[in-house]
Amino acid sequence: MGVTCVCQVPVAEGKSVQQTVDMLHKKLEQLGAVKQGNFWVDCETYHATANATGQQSKQLYVMHNSEAPLSCMALFEGGPFLTADANFDVLMVKLKSHFQNAKSHKVESRGARYRYCDFLVKVGTIAMSSSAKGISVEVEYCACVIPGDCLNLIKEFMQSFLGSNAPEMPSNKAEGQLYTPVDCVDPMSQYLELFGKVRKQQVLPSSGVR
Amino acid sequence: MMSGGPAVRVSIESSCERQVQEVSLDGMETYVPPLSMSQNLAKLAQRIDFGQSSDSDEERTDREKRDEWSTREAEEDEGTVKFQPSLWPWDSVRNNLRSALTEMCVLHDVLSVVKEKKYMALDPVSQDPTVAKTPQVFQLISKKRSLATAAQLLLKGAEKLTKSLAENQEQRRQRDFNSELLRLRSQWKLRKVGDKILGDLSYRSAGSLFPHQGTFEVIKNTDIDLDKKVPDDYCPLTVQIPSDLEGSAYIKVSIQKQSPDIGDLGTLNLFRRPPKAKPGSQMWHLRLEAAQNVLLCKEIFAQLSREAVQIKSQIPHIVVKNQIISHPFPGLQLSISLCHSAGEKKSQRASPDRIKPDDHLYVLEHNLHQLIREFHKQTLSSVTMPHPASAPFGHKRLRLAGPMGYDKAEISSWQHIEGLLEKIIKQAKHIFLRSRTARTIDSLASRIEDPQIQAHWSNINDVYESSVKVLITSQGYEQICKSIQLQLNIGVEQIRVVHRDGRVITLSHQEQELQDFLLSQMSQHQVHAVQQLAKVMGWHVLSFSNHVGLGPIESVGNASAITVASPNGEHAISVRNGPESGCKVLVQFPRSQAKEPPKSDVVQDGKWSHLRGSYKEVHWGRMEGRNFVYKMELLMAALTPCS
Repeated sequence: MGVTCVCQVPVAEGKSVQQTVDMLHKKLEQLGAVKQGNFWVDCETYHATANATGQQSKQLYVMHNSEAPLSCMALFEGGPFLTADANFDVLMVKLKSHFQNAKSHKVESRGARYRYCDFLVKVGTIAMSSSAKGISVEVEYCACVIPGDCLNLIKEFMQSFLGSNAPEMPSNKAEGQLYTPVDCVDPMSQYLELFGKVRKQQVLPSSGVR
Repeated sequence: MMSGGPAVRVSIESSCERQVQEVSLDGMETYVPPLSMSQNLAKLAQRIDFGQSSDSDEERTDREKRDEWSTREAEEDEGTVKFQPSLWPWDSVRNNLRSALTEMCVLHDVLSVVKEKKYMALDPVSQDPTVAKTPQVFQLISKKRSLATAAQLLLKGAEKLTKSLAENQEQRRQRDFNSELLRLRSQWKLRKVGDKILGDLSYRSAGSLFPHQGTFEVIKNTDIDLDKKVPDDYCPLTVQIPSDLEGSAYIKVSIQKQSPDIGDLGTLNLFRRPPKAKPGSQMWHLRLEAAQNVLLCKEIFAQLSREAVQIKSQIPHIVVKNQIISHPFPGLQLSISLCHSAGEKKSQRASPDRIKPDDHLYVLEHNLHQLIREFHKQTLSSVTMPHPASAPFGHKRLRLAGPMGYDKAEISSWQHIEGLLEKIIKQAKHIFLRSRTARTIDSLASRIEDPQIQAHWSNINDVYESSVKVLITSQGYEQICKSIQLQLNIGVEQIRVVHRDGRVITLSHQEQELQDFLLSQMSQHQVHAVQQLAKVMGWHVLSFSNHVGLGPIESVGNASAITVASPNGEHAISVRNGPESGCKVLVQFPRSQAKEPPKSDVVQDGKWSHLRGSYKEVHWGRMEGRNFVYKMELLMAALTPCS
């Protein structure tokens, strides 16, 4: 469990998603990272059924991460979150009357997992209803749990293999949060943000082959 | 005659001998009234103790006194002085004295009678004459009769006792079976099926999953003849154990260097260890225990062979009949065999396969038993039961894995995936590695004398890890030269060496690596010792290098070198020590001491002759001293002038 940073890498000019991903893999291997299997992160959306007051129904996101294979995370956007056993999915089925699954909004990111000393790099293809929409790169620094101490290090590391695509540091962290230890939901909220961005992008006429 | 003058009144007053009782507030003194004569007398008389002055006596005397007084008063009522009430105390005195006098007179009379026999004599009381005369025949007959009665009583009693004893014995033989059965039941599980008594000697109830039934039958031993003498080891019940559990068995774990001929695989090793008979344990107990042991060994072997077949390893394990052979290290063979000697045959003692009996690693056999028992406990433990319906089987902690968001590393640390065979192979590897490390260190210690190598083994170690601290010192200079201290952590496949200066080196299981490493450390130690010695002797270290790049190449490690200068700077000693090339010592002398002082036109000043000049090699083998550091100390001392 370490500090995680998730970012989106734009597809390279004149290349497909798969080719960009291959390029990243090659760069990582040149760096000296070792491939250690695959990973997947997915997110399902549930709409709360309209309540009596007719307020805008909140959306509940249920996410899974292969890093914590027996867990299931449930988040409200910007709101409270929950970490539960894998049986939570079954519970959601039971709560069909209160939360309805928006099956078309399921987003997932799958790809290879690389390990470079204390860094875990996961390069994944974001797919929505089995069509690739983008590339996500997650870098986890396993040796530290305080974001404030190692975000700069992670940024530097990302710059080494992402070049100019390295993101700015997530500014959504309040000052107080920078120096508190992270938990397993932190990467999930970052992924949620990323998936949200990808979904919004999809609405625009996506230039798939740019 | 008084001459004129009035008469003087002279009053005489006795001196005041009375005690003052009270002085009143107006000065008047109140005197204690003095005792009259009778009162005084009474007071004195009461002080006299006349012996028994009991209440009854007093009462009696009082009554007597009163009677006397009343009678005497009637007779003489002239008021004699004697009978005044104030004389009451003297009455008791008088009576007591009178009675004492009477007693004394009587005693005197008796004594005079006894002594003088003048008027009276003492005569014994005569016996009754009628009892004396009985004829002796009657006496005899009566005595005989009484003795006969007594004897008859005793005989009757004895007869009763023997009868009851015989009955008891008979009953005991019958009851013996029940008491034996009770004893058997207190230690083994029995149940009654129909008219047979069956028992269970398997580990099923302890958590074993072995499919063997393990039932034995209890049979009453009735072929005993009560008239003949009962044999000493007679037991009223016998147990009948299943035929495949007869005899005794054990698991033999041994490590061999060379693999034996392939044809020898699968032979039944028939070493038989005599069962340890505890005093007082019955025959059935020994047999049942032996059978249970056989069952456990079979279970262990079945589990091991199952794992040997299922688990994929680099070098596959061979399972032949009753042996499992695996190769933990190249050139090494670990064989686990089930040795079961059925029945009571003792003739197979002389088996041709009598290799070293201490080949058998008893520790591993014991560990196997422990591991299988742990496995039994796991199936029964409260860690698994009771158990919520929604949680997966496994360790209780894993139920928290979901809500706590455990990642893969944490989950895998909680799951036990190692089987019995893997564990035992790891333990065997560790034991082998440890014994080989010890042998290497010991052989080096016995072979090389100059830097001494000491090994301090830690008492506390794990089945998978042991540690030893290796010190390289020079004899006599242990306090000065102690810079080479190594901590070796012996694991399952590797040895991790932690040096005193912080380096961590991982050595493989090869014996040669450790030996080479230790040799290189020993050579470095010599040079370090010179450095420490120089500090003590006041010499200055000019240069020091652990790994010099000059001189012949060593095949093992690197050579180290040091140069030290004497306190006054005139001499310098250079030492180069390598693990293979040995040590080379050179001494630098000042130019003035050279045989041919160099003459040069350029350098003419005399002061330059004080600089150090040429080198000369020291014949180190011919130096005096028992070890390198001692020789070095002598050399340094020799080169330091006394003044």
